[in-house]
Amino acid sequence: MVKFLKPNKAVIVLQGRYAGRKAVIVKSFDEGTRDRPYGHCLVAGIKKYPSKVIRKDSAKKTAKKSRVKCFVKLVNYQHLMPTRYTLDVDLKDAVAVDALQTKDKKVAACKATKERFEERFKTGKNRWFFTKLRF
Amino acid sequence: MPAFIGHSWQDDDLSLASSYSIPKPPHPPTTMVAAKKTKKTHESINNRLALVMKSGKYTLGYKTVLKSLRNSKGKLIIIANNCPPLRKSEIEYYAMLCKVGVHHYNGNNVDLGTACGKYFRVCCLSIIEPGDSDIIKSMPGDH
Repeated sequence: MVKFLKPNKAVIVLQGRYAGRKAVIVKSFDEGTRDRPYGHCLVAGIKKYPSKVIRKDSAKKTAKKSRVKCFVKLVNYQHLMPTRYTLDVDLKDAVAVDALQTKDKKVAACKATKERFEERFKTGKNRWFFTKLRF
Repeated sequence: MPAFIGHSWQDDDLSLASSYSIPKPPHPPTTMVAAKKTKKTHESINNRLALVMKSGKYTLGYKTVLKSLRNSKGKLIIIANNCPPLRKSEIEYYAMLCKVGVHHYNGNNVDLGTACGKYFRVCCLSIIEPGDSDIIKSMPGDH
């Protein structure tokens, strides 16, 4: 009886183009809105996972391999699989619902989440989130 | 060396790691004496379920069970024993996130449908309001 679809929860997208990708809930709309009369949430996820970095890679190669490509999307709860993991990265100021209205706002939101994800990846925390889900 | 080389993700700190465990394989078959005892508790579950059907709120079926877990309205989940294992694990995982009890019903979906007084098969059901029944107090956390 504990609500678990809250901001900072790590989820896996199950349907659509980003099926199988890990994402983090930024904002959840349990009751839905006028346009979307069902429970849904705004997620920021990983479009392209960072590659595996090995010890003998040069600094330039490491930088290239640790790039993360992100997406921002409104997803129905039914198309998400919640997990027990959380990712406390502050994305509220980077990603807002109005970021999905126009293309350039969306690109700016994705760029901002890309920075946050990349710096979190480089610290080595939340390693589960940045590994590709094998299926 | 950057911090993300050559480690596994197991050293993340996880919120619910201790409480979730992989479900154990089923126990060896019960003896005659134990079978009699499970028959009595089995009937009492049926009685409690009948009372919930009469006086409480419930939903039947996989989709609505997941919905009730997502909006944290479900208080007890009952799963039939011939539920497909992937679906069973999924419902158990959601229930673990919600901290809601799951009861594995001793019977298949046909029996569970009959116990609910319905003429169709019920693989999983979620009790939202127990009504007059004490089913939630008497058999939570069965796993």
